[in-house]
Amino acid sequence: MRALAANIEEVFREAAARWTLIAYFALSSLFILLFAVAVNLDVVNGALAGAKIFGQSVHMGRQSVDLDRLVLGFESGFAGFLYVVGTFLAIFATAHLVPRLMEKGTVDLYLSRPVGRVPLLLSRYVGGLLLSASNVVYLLGAMWLLVIWKTRLVHPRFFLAAGIILFGIAALMAFAFLIGTLTSSTAVSIMATFAVFFLSAILANHDRIAAALSAEWAAALVQGLYWVFPKTAQLGAAVVALVMGDEGPRRMRDALTLQPFVTTGLFGAVSLTLACLRFRRKDF
Amino acid sequence: MSAAIEVRGLRKDYRAGLGGREVKALSGIDLAVQPGELFGLLGPNGAGKTTTVKILLGLTHATAGSASLLGKPVGDPESRRRVGYLPEGHRFPGYLTARQTLSIFGRMSGVPSRTLAPRIKDLLSRVKLSDWVDVKVKRFSKGMTQRLGLAAALVHDPEVLLLDEPTDGVDPVGRREIRDLLKAEAAKGRAILLNSHLLSEIELTCDRVAVLRSGRVAAMGTIEELTKRNEEKSSSNGYRFVASPLSEELIADFRALGAGAERVNGHVRLTARNVAHLNQLVDATRARGALLTELTPEKSTLEDVFVDLVRAADPASADPSSPSKKSEDD
Repeated sequence: MRALAANIEEVFREAAARWTLIAYFALSSLFILLFAVAVNLDVVNGALAGAKIFGQSVHMGRQSVDLDRLVLGFESGFAGFLYVVGTFLAIFATAHLVPRLMEKGTVDLYLSRPVGRVPLLLSRYVGGLLLSASNVVYLLGAMWLLVIWKTRLVHPRFFLAAGIILFGIAALMAFAFLIGTLTSSTAVSIMATFAVFFLSAILANHDRIAAALSAEWAAALVQGLYWVFPKTAQLGAAVVALVMGDEGPRRMRDALTLQPFVTTGLFGAVSLTLACLRFRRKDF
Repeated sequence: MSAAIEVRGLRKDYRAGLGGREVKALSGIDLAVQPGELFGLLGPNGAGKTTTVKILLGLTHATAGSASLLGKPVGDPESRRRVGYLPEGHRFPGYLTARQTLSIFGRMSGVPSRTLAPRIKDLLSRVKLSDWVDVKVKRFSKGMTQRLGLAAALVHDPEVLLLDEPTDGVDPVGRREIRDLLKAEAAKGRAILLNSHLLSEIELTCDRVAVLRSGRVAAMGTIEELTKRNEEKSSSNGYRFVASPLSEELIADFRALGAGAERVNGHVRLTARNVAHLNQLVDATRARGALLTELTPEKSTLEDVFVDLVRAADPASADPSSPSKKSEDD
């Protein structure tokens, strides 16, 4: 356990030494600060009677706006935005973890310690996941607290959306680890993972794509890929649906089914298992 | 007493590239290193030294045979619990300081944090890095990184040390300090396997050596045993001879008396048939009115042993001045 904790600490120290992560935290902090300073809301009897952004009054007409709906709209939009951006940044910030470990002159230092290869790889995976979680929780948590402070409205589901975001990141990071063990290349890991993210989003329309294809085998391939790949688009919709709750459109609520979670989880588990098998058998 | 490092019939085959030819990196190696022993592993490039060390550390899997560290098979990560390793061309994370490096790698070897702090201080002092404790590794010179690597190999107080080119990039004073440190560690009962191209370092440091050639042990023994064996194989008795004056006429006299005589940088390399013949050459020196100032028997060095073993396997690399090679060239 001590050895694995040391390995996780090393992941964090490495992250702290990398400018990408510092830039991510700095940008997140700037965004939070801007929101905290710039937005001033005038709430009367639970409704938005007036708003100021950067000191300028926002024209609201004569009628007041339902604050709860407005805030939910902002929160769901922000959570959806963070799902995409957070996932991209998390992959970008952690894809190097395996290729760097496998570098000549580095891997010897780690594998010569009394730690099994699988626990070593998994500890780096956990370290990467904790790193991504700290970023997502920081941004989402800070925004959640700011919204509570500004509006006195508490929507726990907004904060809980971090769970779905991290679930998606975990599955894709497992795939990035698999590519890392196969190619030892950070660039290939990032490109392949982003390709899966976009391809999966396109495959959300698998029925329509398959119907448009003339060859039967091509249609079967599209359907097969849909079931194999993680459901990135459905997970994004699930994030928004979770935050909106009953206020959201029916189409969104329907996205909150178990299927995307099960297949995405399986994709991640299989990727991580294959990564462990490859790493365990590899000669250095 | 059971061996700290034991290798039996170790074989490693691999394919060079996809569908490429099969390479036999190791073809059945047997060796054992006892506690307190400084053992040198020598061999030309591609002889299998690094493969042997990598199998011992579980970095590479053996095709056949067995290897164990302190009685535990190398496939078990626990076999590395009491083993320190310094790889060649190691790359510690540049963003860590010397203290952080030893702390992380110490804990990865299972050392509790509370015992690490004093040990790190002591180790960095022993490798002369006390003034660089909180400096990032990326600012270190090659020699300093090598010293840090040695400290990292010792951080968990191991019983076995596997060191790959430990003095690489270290200045002569530093080399001597590392040699002294290794001798002190061996005196504490640690088994040390040293893998180096610097034959003089091995000669000065190791108790026993094994010379690998084409994946096999070509020779093994103490340095004295190996050099003596080499001298016995050699038919000529060479001497370093210095006299004043060392004239061309004197050298011509030696040749006329049937000795080999070759002027080399202010001295003569003299080859006599036996002691009586040598005394005859000394008499000839006096007869010429010259004063004998130095006469030293030439000893076979580890380098001679190494070169002879490598050449024995590869006649093409033999001395171009040798008769067989000459006739071929002619």
